Amino acid sequence: MRSVIKTIVRTAAVFAAATLFSQAQFVDSGAPGQAGPKSQAVVYLFPEQVTVRAGKPASVDLHFRVAPGLHINSHTPSDQFLIATTFSIPGNDGVALAAASYPAGQQISLASDPTTKLNVYTGDFVIHAQLVSPAGNHLAQGKLHYQACDRNQCMPPKTITVPIDVVAQ
Amino acid sequence: MRRNTIVLGAVLFLLAVFAWAGWANWEYRQQAAERLLANAAKGELVADAATGAPVYVSPLQGRMAPAFALNDLSGIKVPLSTYRGKALLINFWATWCAPCKIETPWIIELRNKYASQGFEVLGIDTEGDDLKPDDKVGWAKAQQAASNFVAQEKIPYPVLLDGDSIATPYGGLDELPTSFFVDRKGNVVAAQLGLTSESDLEAKIKKALGQ
Repeated sequence: MRSVIKTIVRTAAVFAAATLFSQAQFVDSGAPGQAGPKSQAVVYLFPEQVTVRAGKPASVDLHFRVAPGLHINSHTPSDQFLIATTFSIPGNDGVALAAASYPAGQQISLASDPTTKLNVYTGDFVIHAQLVSPAGNHLAQGKLHYQACDRNQCMPPKTITVPIDVVAQ
Repeated sequence: MRRNTIVLGAVLFLLAVFAWAGWANWEYRQQAAERLLANAAKGELVADAATGAPVYVSPLQGRMAPAFALNDLSGIKVPLSTYRGKALLINFWATWCAPCKIETPWIIELRNKYASQGFEVLGIDTEGDDLKPDDKVGWAKAQQAASNFVAQEKIPYPVLLDGDSIATPYGGLDELPTSFFVDRKGNVVAAQLGLTSESDLEAKIKKALGQ
């Protein structure tokens, strides 16, 4: 009986090891250039860490950058169908977003239709956030939802994570 | 007895790892196959030989338009084959796409101009790219937005939903608007990425009509 169990264990171990190895091979073989075009239209710049007073609203300026040649809708786009840029901190535990104020957008129009005005962010922009945090160290996972375009085409809406290490004293 | 229990636990653990790895491999292979298919159909901008202007060229050109069947705004499934015999403009758009909105009146005008010659437009809404399949509220909201857009723009041609579900055979649809011009036999004769001009659209429609 014992020898049977030993054989089963050995066989299973060999299979599992081989499978894990092949899985690692598959993961490694993923082509890095196939993630999708223009996938990072907006990047979060800073701050990575903030120190605030525990339980009190604290102002934090969140800095973002839109890739050259692209624009994203402002928080108050010019058309009801356009997707507003919005910052949020989901979840009820830990750091909360008490309020957020957004910069005014820039008015642009597309060459094909100069009459249609779009209200957008380009280049660097800053969102003023009011964060409230209980005492302790917390990694807040903020979310920035946006939709980016260039002069002729648009990319699907996207949500990026904005990690902020909040130290509340 | 205790030893046997430990051994049995170890066996079960290893089998579970084995099953997980197998499932992960299968899923990875599925994703890789989809990427491969999308990349195979992905078009590119190339310089026009005469003018030097960038022109969108799709590998689908000269091939049959990939088959699909999507629901329209009233929930009726509409297969592409319904339109065999007509010249077609398959226009992928979304309500949040400003260039799509700019070209919509051009498309309506051209559709009305050439409809009597056997030309039709299929507008395919790709609203829910970041929606999860089980997000019923999100999908309902997306469908309502599409309906509102169609009403506001007075779109007279059929509008189908969930273009994302056929993105892979149509090259990924990473940017909108994207259009494919199909002749009466169902072959793609031209493609367009992004906003160009009404005259450019008309030239491609004429090509689809064989003029």
